[in-house]
Parts: sequence; structure tokens; C-alpha cells
Amino acid sequence: MVDTTKNTKLFTSYGVTTSKAINPDMAAKMISKAKRPLLVVGTGVLRPEILDRAVKIAKKANIPIAATGSSLNGFLDKDVDAKYINVHQLGFYLTDPAWPGLDGKGNYDTIIVLEFKKYYINQVLSGTRNFSKVKSISIGKDYVQNATMSFGTISREEHFVALDELIDLL
Amino acid sequence: MSNLTTGSFSIEDLESVQITINNIVGAAKEAADEKAKDLGPLGPSTWPGLATYRDDWNLKLLARYEPVITPMCDQCCYCTYGPCDLSNNKRGACGIDMLGHNGREFFLRVITGTACHAAHGRHLLDHLIEVFGEDLPLKLGQSDVLTPNITITTGQRPMTLGEIKPAMEFTEEQLTQLLATVHAGQESAEIDYDSKALFSGSLDHVGMEISDIVQIAALDFPKADPEAPLIEMGVGTIDKEKPFLCVIGHNVGGVTYMMDYMEEHDLTDKMELGGLCCTAIDLTRYKEADRRAPYTKVIGSMSQELKIIRTGLPDVIVVDEQCVRGDIVPEAQKLGIPVIASNAKIMYGLPSRDDQDVDATIEELKSGAIPGAVILDYDKLGEIAVRLTQVMHPIRQAAGFRTIASDEQMKEWVDKCADCGSCYLVCPEELEIPEAMKHAKEGDYSYLVDLHDQCIGCRRCEQVCKKEIPILSVIEKASQKVIAEEKGWMRAGRGQVSDAEIRSEGLNLVMGTTPGIIAIIGCPNYGDGAKSVYYIAEEFLKRNYIVVGTGCGSMDMGMYKDENGQTLYERFPGGFQSGGLVNIGSCVSNAHITGAAQKVAAIFGGRTMGGNLAEIADYVLNRVGACGLAWGAFSQKAASIGTGCNIYGIPAVLGPHSSKYRRALIAKNYDDEKWKVYDARNGEEMAIPPAPEFLLITAETWQEAIPMMAKACIRPSDNSMGRSIKLTHWMELHAKYIGGMPDDWWKFIRTEADLPLAKRADLMKKLEEEKGWEIDWKRKKIISGPKIKFDVSAQPTNLKRLCKEA
Repeated sequence: MVDTTKNTKLFTSYGVTTSKAINPDMAAKMISKAKRPLLVVGTGVLRPEILDRAVKIAKKANIPIAATGSSLNGFLDKDVDAKYINVHQLGFYLTDPAWPGLDGKGNYDTIIVLEFKKYYINQVLSGTRNFSKVKSISIGKDYVQNATMSFGTISREEHFVALDELIDLL
Repeated sequence: MSNLTTGSFSIEDLESVQITINNIVGAAKEAADEKAKDLGPLGPSTWPGLATYRDDWNLKLLARYEPVITPMCDQCCYCTYGPCDLSNNKRGACGIDMLGHNGREFFLRVITGTACHAAHGRHLLDHLIEVFGEDLPLKLGQSDVLTPNITITTGQRPMTLGEIKPAMEFTEEQLTQLLATVHAGQESAEIDYDSKALFSGSLDHVGMEISDIVQIAALDFPKADPEAPLIEMGVGTIDKEKPFLCVIGHNVGGVTYMMDYMEEHDLTDKMELGGLCCTAIDLTRYKEADRRAPYTKVIGSMSQELKIIRTGLPDVIVVDEQCVRGDIVPEAQKLGIPVIASNAKIMYGLPSRDDQDVDATIEELKSGAIPGAVILDYDKLGEIAVRLTQVMHPIRQAAGFRTIASDEQMKEWVDKCADCGSCYLVCPEELEIPEAMKHAKEGDYSYLVDLHDQCIGCRRCEQVCKKEIPILSVIEKASQKVIAEEKGWMRAGRGQVSDAEIRSEGLNLVMGTTPGIIAIIGCPNYGDGAKSVYYIAEEFLKRNYIVVGTGCGSMDMGMYKDENGQTLYERFPGGFQSGGLVNIGSCVSNAHITGAAQKVAAIFGGRTMGGNLAEIADYVLNRVGACGLAWGAFSQKAASIGTGCNIYGIPAVLGPHSSKYRRALIAKNYDDEKWKVYDARNGEEMAIPPAPEFLLITAETWQEAIPMMAKACIRPSDNSMGRSIKLTHWMELHAKYIGGMPDDWWKFIRTEADLPLAKRADLMKKLEEEKGWEIDWKRKKIISGPKIKFDVSAQPTNLKRLCKEA
């Protein structure tokens, strides 16, 4: 029988780019490979189980934190390098090669995003995806289409385990 | 003859011929121009076109506040060339790139909103001229400056309904020009779509101004009245035993006929008349100039539309225009509620009954033979809506439509849930519906109750539920007790800020001693939006900011009470004053918010208004500390309202969902080149602090929005006391809601007097240790360090042409 199921590539250019779904091991690899990584957290990070894991990621991989929304309060006594910035503003600055970054040392090549409402971070990342070379890795519990790579949509319990696995691999 | 505007003329050799001239093209404008000659000096931009503001103002604004594009999807499917993949800023088949396409998409939202308000204005203007005549004077309160937006745009100062016509015609003409630019193969530069969007925003405030001033003047609304009456609001205020006529939309025209009918037939205490969105706000303003006892009620915003239908309480629904859901008819039909469409913009496919006898129409609707009708004849509408409500009430009561689901029914629904998670995936608010259903199965409905306030009533969850559970009804059934307690108070929309109020607050605002104007300008529909707006308003009111509100934002500020059972409207005065909570009115009253800032420039600052947008906007951007909040709007109108604020130099913070408008305006706070203006005294460049650092931006949480807004009220012209007060509030709010000190507080310091008083010594120490600034500790003075200088006489401007040496 002739295989009539092959070659189903669309002839039109609909352009529905999606992020590559990854496991914790790939996320760990990408974070370790990054030259100027930045951990970008949303206000959801204040959930204690997540806050604890975010701090561990930042410390273990030695990554500064962009504490967006109203999340900074959670990090003030955690001995991590966390600074407040509005995430919409951050998304814009990431597209500017001349941005000095949060520490004055220049822009970032990789951002790791955690604990946002998916519609919001997805919208912010549509700017970085289309207008910059920065890589974004979403390690939240929802699949984020506009990230370069993302965890799929998983349960809260699975998410805790995935983050623990990621931390172990850093 | 070409110069004829009014009067008579004769044509020889014609006999027994009757000539009727309804309108002479351009005559109204010519007559108005003639009159304007007496109005004193005009600026350079009367009757502007698409290019007028571009080079002189818009591109200057956009050079600092850069467009930030966040596309909704990769493709453009606007014409038959496509669909085209524009990802990574590729160009489509027509040649437009991703930036240009999304600039166009944002622009489309802005012109849509502008068209809504302009069309609203046109409808009201024509209707009110027909009823009251062209000569009805524009009595709007004790002010000389009645129409700031119209005057700035056209140079005109209309004094009667008829004299508004040229500004109306002009707005419509420019909207046509703007719409033409989105045709394939025309404008493709993102920056020019932004410039056009800003222009459209300025027109939006003209359209809104027209809409509101004609209804204030003709329908006897409160006229700049800080003590307009308090109105009952919330679904809990509806007496379930009475027939309930529910109106939804934004145009008060038809509702006034219902109120007149109720008043003429002594029905005001025998039935309930209440509404959602701005029709509700404006019906509570009707005939309230003399502060009579109000009897109509405000239910809530667009996100409540399905929720109120699902209660089964409305006996008749009348819709007019704008923020009205598309599924009102099928939803109402399920519960035996007839729907009347009263405005040609929304007709829902319903049959027209304008030509039918009133009794026959009532009988037809009562029988259920048709789910509703289009009735555009306001005399018939007023009678039918009121009489039908009384007729339907006992019928619907007997049929059980006014009773919510039984406990058994509720259990059956909840037990059907298969925990597939589809509802969570599609919920715009990402609500944990599956988790709440799981607890409900075990008999604990409290998780469902928690969803009620956050749910936006969109029923996307119901659309994907394979078990066909009416999830919205489940949430509402669980929340019955909470819903019954939804009662609040809102001050009726007062209309414009008066000239006298501007005179007494102008100096405080320009110097910064009144720390700013917080303008709550959009509907807080999204999750917890209502409560967020209450918290935000309360925080700023306690700090003596002036909080002005309009539309659904004004409603939601009144829905919550403090520990003493008082709403914000009962706690704070209604005047435009430090610590005042000023409910201006409905959506279209937003024009009075830009109007207030414009009046500060004109009345306090002495700037020419007529045809002088750039100078007025420049004044506001550099001197008037104001920041808007559009916390969770659904509509395109919010985009045009916000953009209208932006062109006038007023920044706005939006809720996170507004990132879907696709375009923000954010400045690079790290690029010193962006933070320079001219000193108008000599044309020399002067450094200014990076504030406001955005014109349009989103915040993730209301807690984040508060310090952002406080910071956005800082202006180059603040005097030291004003700067010190503004910094005190911003830094305290940052510590309270974000945590710690902001990293960039020092950038706003020019002299030691700018420092917050209570922490002056500590902060000087920090400046010395962390920034290397030189401090004279004996005199407690900063010797060197600041990049920006303080000069009390400096005249900051972005317009070189305004400088003396220019």
C-alpha cells in the first residue's frame, strides 16, 4: 500500500510556533550551559513549597533572581541575589542588547521563568521570542507556548517532584 | 454663495419653486470658525489630521516611551495574501513585519474604542437635539472651561448642543481617515501606527466629552457636584419580591423613557430598575442635579452579566450598546426572560416591533412566541419595558424561573464531574475549578465560594465540559449567601471637575504637595479586580492623593466596607481635593479626567488651550502628577481611553490581562539620553529623573501596581517639598508591597530637601556610603553627587519651539 500519510507539512505558513517540551534533566542542562542566566519569578513563588525550591535553584546554580510582581518580600531574608523589576519592563529590556542588566554587567542569554499565570508570562515571552535571541526556559506547572523550552502542564504534586529533580541535577 | 452659512438668498427667474436646504456642507464648521475669532489666541493644531501631531509631539513621546510589542500569535490573516507567518519579525506577503502588524492590531483596538464613544456621542447628540433643540445651553456647573478636549482639538468652545456639531463631524471624519490606514499595503511602520493610535486616543476623549456633556446638560445630571447622592449598589440590594427590569450597556437614552414612564405611573417603589455597566451609572444620574432621592440601582460590571441572568431575578432585560455580551438572548431564553434590543448597534437577529401596537408586542413577548424584540422607538420602549416587567414577574415566579437550583440538583451536577481538568486549562483566570469540584463532591462548597469573586462569568469552562455541567451556575449556587450580601454605596457620577476646584488644587499638584491624581479609569472585571481596586483606592486616599474614578471602577470601589460598615464613598469627600474620592461618572466621563489635567495647564498654568495639544500635553507630562489605572478591562474602549491619557502625558498601569492588547509604552530607565528636557527659559538641556518611566504598562498584582503608580506621579517640576512627599509615599509603599527600599530612589534626589523628612539623615548616609556623594554633615547638605539639579524657576519642556532662545 502506498503510504499516503507521509509529507503532511502545511503548505501555508500558519506559524504556530510552540516551545519544546522538556524534562527536568534537559532544563538542568540548559541552565548549567547558560553564560548569563537569570531566574525570573512571579508572585506565585510566594507559595512556601515553591519559594523554598526557587531559593535552592538560585543558590545551587548561583543565579540572580528577578523578583517580579510582588514576590521580592519572599527573598529578602534568604541570602540570594534578588532584585525587583516589573516583568513587562524586564521583557522589553531583555530585547535591548545595551541593557546593563540588574547588576550592571550586561544583558542575559537565558532566563528561567517560574510561577506566573501562564497567560501573562506567555504574553511577555512573545516579545522576547520574536524580538531577541534570549532563551527562555519555563519550569512552572503550566506549558508555556512562547518559551523556548517548557515543562508541560502537570499537577502541583508532579511539579514539586520535577523541581526537586531539577535541583538535584544542577 | 460659498460663504453662506445662515440667512437667505434669492435666485432670479425661479418662480413657485420650493427649495429646502437641510445642511450646507462645511457651514457649521465655518460658522464655528467665525465665532472662534473672538476666542483669543490659538495654538498651531486646530482641526488636526493624521500627521498634525506626529512630528511635533507624538514621535517625541515615542522616542522616550518606546513601543513594546508582545504579539498574540505568529500569524497575520488579515488579507487573501496570507495567512503569513511573521514570527521572529518576518515580513508577510504584503510586506508588513511582525512589529508593524501588531502596531496595527493595537491601533485597531484604539480606533474601535474611539468609534464606540464617538458613535455613542453622535447618537445622544442627535437624539437630544431632536428632543431639546439645538439651542439648549451646555450648563455643566460653575465653570468657564466647559469643553477642554473639544477646545484643545478644534479651537472651538461650544456653548449649546448645536454648537457641538462641528466637533462631532470632525471626529467622525478623522475616524474614517484612520480606519482607511489599515487597508492592506498602506501604513506598515509600527511607529506610525503608534502615532495614529495616539491621535485616535485624543479623538476618543473628544467623543467621550461630547457624549457626557450633552447628557449632563440635557438630562439634568449632577453638574460638577461633589455631593451628588449616594446610590445603592450590588445584586444584594434587589428586592426579590418585586418585578425587576434589568438594563445592560452604556447608552442612557432609552432608559430615561423607562424612568419617565415609571415616575408618571407611580411605579418607582413597586418595581426594581437596575443595571450593569455604564447604563446603570448614567441612569442613577438622570434628573439628579437637584439631589432627589434615588430609586434606581447599580448591579455591577460586564463580568456580572451572566451571573445576574443565572440568578433568574431579571424579569425583562433591555440591552443598548457597547459592553454587552453576545449570548444574552440564549441565556435569557433558558430562564424565560424576554430581551429587548434598544439600539441599532446590537439587534441580535431579533424581529423589529417598532411598527406594532404596544399591547400586541407585550402579548407576543409574554407568550414566548419570540425571545425578544428590537424596539428603537423610545416612547414605545419606555412603556413596553416597564409594563412587560410587571407582566412577566408573576409568570416567571410561577414557572420557577426566579428560583435557583435545588440542593439535589447541585449535588447531581457536582457528582458528574470527571476531574478531566479541561475547565482549568481554558479558564482565563486559571481558576482551580477541578480542585473546588473535588471538595464539593465531599460536601465542602467553600472552595466553590472562593471562586465566585474571581470568576469573570465567561462560561468558557461550560463550553468545554464534556459532562455538560453548568459550572457557572454551580459556583453561583454555592455562593448564594455571599451574593445576597453584595451591597454597597456609590456616589452618583458628579460630572466635570470645576474650574474653582482646579484653581484651589492646581498649585498643590504642580508643586507636588498633593502627591498626585490616581485615576481609576477602566472596568476591573478580572479576578479579584473589584476588591483590588478598593484596596488601591483606599491606600491612596489615606495618603491624601486625589482618587478619581469612572465607570465600573467607580462601582467596584463602593462594593466593600471597612470594619465600621462604611464604604469608601461614605468615608471620603467627593470633591477634587487632597484625599477626595471623586466619582466623575460613566466611561464617557473619562474625558473629564484628561479634562482636569488639561484645565490645570490652562487655568493654573495659563497655557493656551485652543488647538494647542502638544503644549498642554507637555505641561501635563512635566508637571501634573497623575497616573491612571485600568485594572482588568475586557474591552477595546479601555485601549482608546488609556491611549488618550497617554497622548496627554498621563501614564497608566493596566492589569496583567491587558498585556493582550499587544503594545505597551515603556522607557529605558537606564539610558540617560532619554531623560533630558529643555529649560524653556533659555533652551538649554536639563537632566530629569526617570519618571514617569512608562506611559502604558501592566502589573502582575495590585500590590505591585500601587508603588508603580506612586512612582509614576513624580514629575520634573516637583518642588522640594513635593518631591519629598512623593518619595516618602513611593518608598513607604515599595517597602510595604514589594519589600525593602527601591534600588533607584537616589536618582530622584536633587538636594537634601528632596529627601523624605523622617529618614533624611539615614538616606544621606546611604548616599555617601553607597553612591559616593559628598555630604557636609555640619550643614546637613549634599555638596556633590546628584546628576539632576534643582532650580525652582526652571521650565521643563520637551518642545524646543517653546524655548525663548529656540
